[in-house]
Amino acid sequence: MTIAAGIGYALVALGPSLSLFVSVVSKKPFLILTLLSSTLVWLVSLIVLSGLWRPFLPLKANVRWPYALLVISSVCFQEALRFLFWKVYKRLEDVLDSFADRISRPRLFLTDKLQIALAGGLGHGVAHAVFFCLSLLTPAFGPATFYVDRCSKVPFFLISAIIALAFVTIHTFSMVIAFEGYAKGNKVDQVIVPVIHLAAGMLTLVNFASEGCVIGVPLLYVLASLTLVHCGKMVWQRLIESRNQSSPSR
Amino acid sequence: MDRNQRPRSILESLGEELIAILTPVSICMFTVVLLVCVLNSDPSSSSASFSSIATAAYSETDSDSSWDKFVGAFLNSLVFVAAITIATFVLVLLFYLRCVKFLKFYMGFSAFIVLGNLGGEILVLLIDRFRLPIDSITFLILLFNFSVVGVLAVFMSRFSILITQSYLVLIGVLVAYFFTLLPEWTTWVLLVALAIYDIAAVLLPVGPLRLLVEMAISRDEDIPALVYEARPVIRNDSSLVQRRVWRERRSSQNDIENATQDDARVVRAEAEEGLVAATRERSEISVPLINQAENSETFLEGIGLGSSGAIKLGLGDFIFYSVLVGRAAMYDLMTVYACYLAIIAGLGITLMLLSVYQKALPALPVSIMLGVVFYFLARLLLEVFVVQCSSNLVMF
Repeated sequence: MTIAAGIGYALVALGPSLSLFVSVVSKKPFLILTLLSSTLVWLVSLIVLSGLWRPFLPLKANVRWPYALLVISSVCFQEALRFLFWKVYKRLEDVLDSFADRISRPRLFLTDKLQIALAGGLGHGVAHAVFFCLSLLTPAFGPATFYVDRCSKVPFFLISAIIALAFVTIHTFSMVIAFEGYAKGNKVDQVIVPVIHLAAGMLTLVNFASEGCVIGVPLLYVLASLTLVHCGKMVWQRLIESRNQSSPSR
Repeated sequence: MDRNQRPRSILESLGEELIAILTPVSICMFTVVLLVCVLNSDPSSSSASFSSIATAAYSETDSDSSWDKFVGAFLNSLVFVAAITIATFVLVLLFYLRCVKFLKFYMGFSAFIVLGNLGGEILVLLIDRFRLPIDSITFLILLFNFSVVGVLAVFMSRFSILITQSYLVLIGVLVAYFFTLLPEWTTWVLLVALAIYDIAAVLLPVGPLRLLVEMAISRDEDIPALVYEARPVIRNDSSLVQRRVWRERRSSQNDIENATQDDARVVRAEAEEGLVAATRERSEISVPLINQAENSETFLEGIGLGSSGAIKLGLGDFIFYSVLVGRAAMYDLMTVYACYLAIIAGLGITLMLLSVYQKALPALPVSIMLGVVFYFLARLLLEVFVVQCSSNLVMF
């Protein structure tokens, strides 16, 4: 295939994030900085993980449990990092609020906080797509394409782009869920995020079975849409709540 | 609907200056990566080597051992850094002797050479690559016009700032592309050597760049060099007027600056000095890690010198950031992203340091070090891991 195919794959993986970036993030400089730093955090986590796993690589192609271990360790590490990210953000929020007081501007609105969480999640998602999908896409710009044996119906680049899109969605919106969960001390939201992440990681193991991607990928999308719906419901509820709180005083 | 009534949230103004400097740096790097990808994908022309002072001592061949390559690269970068040092001292001397006119003309001339010669060469390569039909006379006329406009835009400063800024970025791209043609080992050693040179030149008391900056401050002149200034694009009056206003205010503000050194922690970059009072409400950008505020008139003196208080970044920094990224692009796209993020992070750290130390700082060391470290990490660790995972369609 040619340049058109390469760009197409890239857009499949990153198109929604791109439109999210243009419509929400790019207008507010602070959100861009949040996005960049969260991308960096994700990259650092990936480098640390690859350093940890480097002695054991390459894994045997047909044994599944080392991969399961790899996914579990990675997800645990990244979720711990998410908690750390939240702690840092919490302090930043205090600093921002006191800064806003100082220059007699309003404090952070609820939507601002949600947007910061969204930008943070988008950073994670974009980093995921960039490293797991886009960085392998270089050959797709040249002639010919590539199929793997286990998923012989779809080109490898297309399937990895599709999976990356699901993960971008999960990463982006689970960050919003997690931040709200931490902020309100909601145990369900705090737990559901690592669970979704782990489940999604585990679902990709289905791809090991011959033609397993026919089942694995739709299940992954079910999970992604669950995340999306949950996030949407939660944000809607929060917005209604905050409007009810603020309207009597106005 | 609600949005129109309520006041602007601080999210919208915070970090504007940072983004104003990050955007051109990103554009520059992206263009270089694109050029490298487009022009080097052709295997037949990839061996295009170019000899310059940076390969004076040693020219790399694939058959040499690693140690030979390293020593050769080291010698090369030694020669290059020595040449830069001498050139900068000559510049300082000329500036000291107040040959500003001569310097301006020399800079204009070199910008013309860069745009005309290097730009022409790259254009020829591009035309060759995409097989565009164009006759040589038209091409030369267009190129000449393009270069002349570029020189005027960079050195007459009566153009719209957008044009000046884009020409500066373009010069950065052109030079950076040619540096990526250096042999691999030389590039890496050269980058590290330049980062170290940058520290020395800016921070040592006899460092040439420091002398230059101090001289420029004491004489209240602009540095006669290629410096990117992240000024706001949309402004009311011409830049000349504003600079004058700034200079008059500056002397009085230096006193205040000394007086308020205690809370000199706050970074306030007044984008438009002539309108200090008016902008006080809306142009507070700051590094919010630092607490005591009040209205201390301290300035974000840029990396380099801010003649209007905006962040300034030398074009050399643009070039060598892009060289790093462009060199990474020859290996893989993964290393490009890693290096890009590392460089941006380094730039952020440098700006933080800037807000603490409040003087001209070298922009290369932190970014280049991070970039080199991330390049090798990505190449040695990340690639195996990621390829292993994603070729089996395992992701997390």
